[in-house]
Amino acid sequence: MISPVLLMLAGFIFFPSIYVGWLSFTQSSFGRATQWVGCGNYLALLADPYFWRALLNTIIVVNVVVYAELFLGLGIALLFAGGVPWPRLMVSIVLAPYAISEVVAVVMWKFMFEPTVGMANHWLTRVGLGEIEWTVNPTHALVLIVLLAVWHHLPFTFVILYTARLTIPRELYEAAGIDGAGPFQIFRRITLHLLMPAILVALLFRYIFAFRLFSEVWLLTQGGPARTTEVLAVYLYRAAFRYHEFGLASATGWAMVIISLLIGLYYLRVIYRRMFASPA
Amino acid sequence: MILKRPAWQSAVRLGLLGLVLTWSLFPIGLVVMASVKPAVTIFEVPPRLTFHPTLANYVELYRRWPEFFGTLRNSLLITLGATGLTVIVSSAAGYVYSRFRSRALTASAFFMVGIRMFPPIVITLPLFPAANMLGLMDTHLLLILLYATFFVSLCTWVMRAFIDQIPREMEEAASVDGASLTQTLVRVTLPLAAPGMIASAVFVFVFSWNEFLFAFIFTTTRAKTAPLILSEMLGAVTGVDWGAVFAAATIQLVPILIFVLLVQRHLIIGLTAGSIKE
Repeated sequence: MISPVLLMLAGFIFFPSIYVGWLSFTQSSFGRATQWVGCGNYLALLADPYFWRALLNTIIVVNVVVYAELFLGLGIALLFAGGVPWPRLMVSIVLAPYAISEVVAVVMWKFMFEPTVGMANHWLTRVGLGEIEWTVNPTHALVLIVLLAVWHHLPFTFVILYTARLTIPRELYEAAGIDGAGPFQIFRRITLHLLMPAILVALLFRYIFAFRLFSEVWLLTQGGPARTTEVLAVYLYRAAFRYHEFGLASATGWAMVIISLLIGLYYLRVIYRRMFASPA
Repeated sequence: MILKRPAWQSAVRLGLLGLVLTWSLFPIGLVVMASVKPAVTIFEVPPRLTFHPTLANYVELYRRWPEFFGTLRNSLLITLGATGLTVIVSSAAGYVYSRFRSRALTASAFFMVGIRMFPPIVITLPLFPAANMLGLMDTHLLLILLYATFFVSLCTWVMRAFIDQIPREMEEAASVDGASLTQTLVRVTLPLAAPGMIASAVFVFVFSWNEFLFAFIFTTTRAKTAPLILSEMLGAVTGVDWGAVFAAATIQLVPILIFVLLVQRHLIIGLTAGSIKE
């Protein structure tokens, strides 16, 4: 009874990924025989400044997005756990962005930040911050991408942390209060400590998924201007489907896998350590 | 329930809550509202709250992008297909993982979770020529299979967590009464696992309805989905026709938003069961 699941995973993910591994050592394109080039693609990758730019952009965006979500998600979770009017309705509202397609989210944010006419730019100019010139300035474009990604994925982090926070028994807080602990101590020793497993789970998942960031960037800037806002997935897409260099694209793919695996392993190790260190 | 707080603290909390709600809802409300505004007032700042609602943008959408309504149908077919397939296969697998133990099962469980870490864009590289060869390019079936594949791990996990909570004794009682294994599963286990099936279905449903990357790479005309045509409208060389884009975005987002709000409880239970449970 588990065979359909395993067949699907093997057929659509496992074997293709192995094949990608093989492709990454070859030079291939449409209608041409593949040719073994050894590590050529990986060397080409390492020598390509656009790859490094994409890697740097990815790392910056992923870290900013994931930690911004963590802080905001934690803040909102604690605010909600402290009691809000109509909690169910309020949780629904915070969850709303989860239901939105990436494409529709891009519609919304592009509209708000449209150069010269968008209302966000209008207001930013009004308060003296100046426009977000995301069509020409790569840093501004990345800022917009971060805002969009945080807006879109905050519900996930929030739900994980909020449900974990609700499982902390009230008695702990009452006991700490009686023992004379200050609010900061209570937060650090009880809330943060007991939420740590949930925080790590949220971080791990969001790292893995944020690493794949594609649609938002592609739909907003296509990696432009002049390939300065590319992330790894966009770099891969361009290599494969614009320049038809499947070998180079495959090497990028494996580079993505290895980097996200390393991050994943790091977090898993931290999680396990935590679990063994605190036998609670 | 709510503790006694000084007035200023309550005020600060309400203020923060207001900020959070605005952050979540403002972009959505903006687009939905703009879709029924006369085209000339769309870019007014601050956005006008009182206006004569008009369906002009929807008419414009129908006139200039009649294709859009066909893509909605494709999206619905693909979403239903992927959801059905995922729920069926992951319920079966979840049952096995819940009721049996063996080394091969443990290994396959690791395989299931590990393989899910693979970025979807990477597997488009070999699937592109393969789909071409098999004649699966631009078909509903290919997207259904892909969407389902990327959710069977999570949903198997969710199903397992739910089936774990159903006492074995109930199944044993049924088999003592002479029910076959299939009867036991269909009459006893599955109805009790229904909340898990709903939670799993919600994940796949929302994902498939909204997905962009695979649709972008693997469909061109026949199986084109709604998010894909929206992206085309957004990237039109003649400039963005914002009125039509808002109408299309509203049609695409309102049903799924209502759906998510209605099943919110299941969604939360599923997310927690799927991610926290080892």
